[in-house]
Amino acid sequence: MKKLLVFVLLISVALFTVNCGGKKPKAKMDDIPEWYLNPPQAEDAIYQAGDAVKTSMALAKDAADARARDAIARTIELKVTNMMKDFMQQSGLGEDSEALEFTSNVSKQVANTVLRGCMIVKREMKTEGSNYHGYSLAEYNLNSLVQEALDEARKQKALYNEAKANLSFEELEREIEKLKEVGE
Amino acid sequence: MIIRILRFIFLPAIINLALAQEFIPSWFQQLPEMPDARLAVGYSGKYVNDNQARSDALELARKNMTKQISIRLAFDLEELSDGRLRLLNPSFKEYISGGILQTVTANSVVIDSALTEDGYFILLAYPASEYRLILDAGDKTWGARPDWIENLPNEKGFVFGVGMVARYRSWIRAWYDADEYARFDLGKNLQIKAESVHATQRDNRTTIESVILKQTYDLTLKDVTIVARWFDIENNAYYSLSRAPRQ
Repeated sequence: MKKLLVFVLLISVALFTVNCGGKKPKAKMDDIPEWYLNPPQAEDAIYQAGDAVKTSMALAKDAADARARDAIARTIELKVTNMMKDFMQQSGLGEDSEALEFTSNVSKQVANTVLRGCMIVKREMKTEGSNYHGYSLAEYNLNSLVQEALDEARKQKALYNEAKANLSFEELEREIEKLKEVGE
Repeated sequence: MIIRILRFIFLPAIINLALAQEFIPSWFQQLPEMPDARLAVGYSGKYVNDNQARSDALELARKNMTKQISIRLAFDLEELSDGRLRLLNPSFKEYISGGILQTVTANSVVIDSALTEDGYFILLAYPASEYRLILDAGDKTWGARPDWIENLPNEKGFVFGVGMVARYRSWIRAWYDADEYARFDLGKNLQIKAESVHATQRDNRTTIESVILKQTYDLTLKDVTIVARWFDIENNAYYSLSRAPRQ
């Protein structure tokens, strides 16, 4: 009888220990929103999802939103770079070395992008033990993306023209120096 | 013994439910529209001295009205992750104009107030004028979970933001923070600078993804109004919805 009691006690202690030392509760597949697993596809907008687990609901929301927007920013970087390459090829400038340099500058610039009108259109907050698991879906209208690309192209063109103007000015200065030497 | 254990388990829950906001004035949950006037809500806890409660609620209503007219919000979020740990550091700063606050104080009027089980609520109108009382402004319960918590409203000409907080001891602090987060969320939906560096290091056995993420904005927003609130009694969570005309 005593042996049985000891056995039951040991089993209880073992089960209790396993339960306490178990892994943190994780999201069940049924709890994950469908739009997180398969973000919507649209011709006129980009969708990206983000998620975060935090003990504070407000922090979980902020982190999930930030990750969804970051995914949008990275998608835009890729799309704008491709758009600029297409533009260069279509306008017959693809083989021009200056134009190629111009394209590579653009891809560097749009890594830091300003998102205008990038909205978190769907959001879900689940509890996992004492934590909150936030899911966010960001939407970015493609009209904003086209505007972003045009702004970037204009900015780069302005910089390019300015650089060219500075170069000409330096050449002019050199010519003046030459004239001065002749005069002396 | 069993009764003691049950009392130990259920008493805090019962107290929590009893202290939870069950009844609120209708305009606290859904701000009404009023032509030619701005409306803002103020609230305070229940004090022994009702005059003090009213005074605190009025002060908050005036501040909320000032924020509605114009507010500068500076948001900054950094997240660092090296594959093992993640560090998140958000920063929220807001600036309001002392001049606008003075104008609001001088030229606003309380058009309705309510003293409930939990505290004092005030509905303020600006500019001060003769206003008709809102007809269905009686106490009400929170009702069903609104759709705007999960799906951001899509109303032409307006931009929205949602604020949410949970497990607060003080409902006043909870609503204050939920309202602030809703304003900041609206700003993010308008414009935000997003920078990030993602690096992935792979070997035969492991993949380590390092991320540095930074998102910032500094905007002066006008006409940002807290138009709706909802309290999830079961989960002790507070939600606020802000709205501003798209400029």
